[in-house]
Amino acid sequence: MTTIALNVNKQAVELSAEPRTCLADFVRDKLDLTGTHLGCEHGVCGACTVLLDGVPVRSCITYAVACEGADITTIEGLDEDEVTTELRAAFTREHALQCGYCTPGMLVSARDLVLRLPDADERRIRVGLSGNLCRCTGYVGIVRAVQSVIEARRARSIAPLTNGGRTGLGPAGSGRAAADRSEPQPARQSPVPARESIAPGSIADFTPATVLDQGFTLAHPPAKVFAMFDDVAGIAACLPGVSLTSPPRPERVEGLIRVRLGPIAASFEGAARVERDPATLSGRIVGIGTDQRSHSATQGEIRYCLLPLEGGAATAVELSIGYTLTGTLAQVGRPGLVRDLARRLVADFAANLDRHMSGVPSGPKTSAELSVWSIVSDVLRARIARVLGRRSGAG
Amino acid sequence: MKPAPFAYERPRDLDAALSMLAASNGSAKIIAGGQSLGPMLNLRLVQPELIIDISGLTELKRADVSGGELVLGALVTHADIEDGRTADVTRGAMRAVAANIAYRAVRNRGTIGGSLSHADPAADWISALAALGARMTLRSCAGARTMTIEAFVVGALESALQAGEIVESIHVPTRSASAHWGYAKSCRKTGEFAHAIGAVLIDPAAATARVVIGAIDTAPIVLTDAAGLFGGRIAADYKERFDAGIADAVLAKAGIDDVVQRHIHVGVLKRAVQEAAA
Repeated sequence: MTTIALNVNKQAVELSAEPRTCLADFVRDKLDLTGTHLGCEHGVCGACTVLLDGVPVRSCITYAVACEGADITTIEGLDEDEVTTELRAAFTREHALQCGYCTPGMLVSARDLVLRLPDADERRIRVGLSGNLCRCTGYVGIVRAVQSVIEARRARSIAPLTNGGRTGLGPAGSGRAAADRSEPQPARQSPVPARESIAPGSIADFTPATVLDQGFTLAHPPAKVFAMFDDVAGIAACLPGVSLTSPPRPERVEGLIRVRLGPIAASFEGAARVERDPATLSGRIVGIGTDQRSHSATQGEIRYCLLPLEGGAATAVELSIGYTLTGTLAQVGRPGLVRDLARRLVADFAANLDRHMSGVPSGPKTSAELSVWSIVSDVLRARIARVLGRRSGAG
Repeated sequence: MKPAPFAYERPRDLDAALSMLAASNGSAKIIAGGQSLGPMLNLRLVQPELIIDISGLTELKRADVSGGELVLGALVTHADIEDGRTADVTRGAMRAVAANIAYRAVRNRGTIGGSLSHADPAADWISALAALGARMTLRSCAGARTMTIEAFVVGALESALQAGEIVESIHVPTRSASAHWGYAKSCRKTGEFAHAIGAVLIDPAAATARVVIGAIDTAPIVLTDAAGLFGGRIAADYKERFDAGIADAVLAKAGIDDVVQRHIHVGVLKRAVQEAAA
């Protein structure tokens, strides 16, 4: 074992690995960055293509130990990248993937083409992507997607990358090792900085990847509900799975959210800020959190608006829940399941809130994690109800 | 598809690398970009006890023009040449060759010295640099020696490198203003190893021609005086005078019995001649 220190997606990483460990295995097995795919493992298929010191390389035939001190960017590190964002939209629009296995490498290579070759025509794009094999699409959608991004950027007069994105000579990623590494350093097994402390004021606005609209009613007047919403600790107690880790202030609420979807469990630790507008009886909560175990991060936003019902005796709470998930958990590509989870969390929240406002003590389930069994029984109950409904409709 | 375990050393300079190599008694392998060695390690075709990584050695990352020739350190990558980060004394010839080696991700790490050391007959540099009249310097603890590319490549994956010796630099002569260059290769799939390579450096003004027929499963055929392929003399009309029958005979004499193979090689060479004349 050798200690290898390098930077992955802008985070310093120091881990021990065998010299024979390729960069792809290193990021997949030790850092859970499984977006880098291994296909042929001998440099032909391109599925493992990542950025090394900013330029594409094959991570299956590049050994991690040879990248000492270098900067690695995997597909996960390109979430916010401008060109990759454009490419993702184009890939979606042009049906540029089916199974998605080649897509991470394809995006890394396509990004490089977009940056280097602003004049590329279809033939040059095809040649440029010839080192990335796709067995689903026949390449037509991929080529169209890349071409559309190149043309869009050309229309915006964006200049190509100078010097191919490199300054020095020699293999990408080479020569970055510290000149004199006196003695082998002790192995440290903490891939991610122990705790990413979130600096005050750094809870930024964002555009959620997914937005779910939910609503419920409470048998209390809007003004009372709005006042209740100002009680952060009280609200937190009503939110399933939420616990606070320090006394809350509106500009900064620190806490933990435990979420479980079937066998998938996560515990997002983070912070939020709360905004309210008494004039419109509306507000929002913006938060960020990370789940250390799965190396996943989330940004979330809950917007609420209170509307009077029954002449002001009751309140309709309209919620818009937006979130963006990155990391391992983002691979759960089942928005329907998440929507269902949100629906049940909101229903629990409403029930807890109602009990809290009516002065009834919360039941034992209120701040418990949602278990798979309750999901199963809920689904079964819903199905039985549907069957019964159908029967009665038929009869 | 994982390599057998190996030890790894990252020497701090060329002397240290040469000492390690000398001390290893043949059980070590030099790695630079690893784009040829990597696949062989992964396939366990090669199982060295020790890998000596020279990729960080700045002494091997030079690219200077001196005395009418370009001196490239062994670690200069194909992408370095493709992008023009190195001076070009061949008026675009080397850039075009570099740009069509394998794929960009490979060119970003694969080195000119590594490609030559590997001596794969189907690789581009052994043919292209032989046609350009390049030489190379090999170094060991005992000293350095210089030889032509055609002398360096002995056979398929066989070079003149002796135990303890590594490729240090490549010397590329300036292409004269009147010299025409043509390079063609046949690949069944873009970027894969060539099945036929033709490289020509023809100077009608000086009445000289260097012709290389490569990717023939052994060291390339290098004709330093190729007038015979053009009716005995090199002049402005060399394209019309190209004699496919002679080329075929040269290939047959080199031991290529398969008529179809010879046909492909002759066809690719003809394309290189046409490109030079264009």
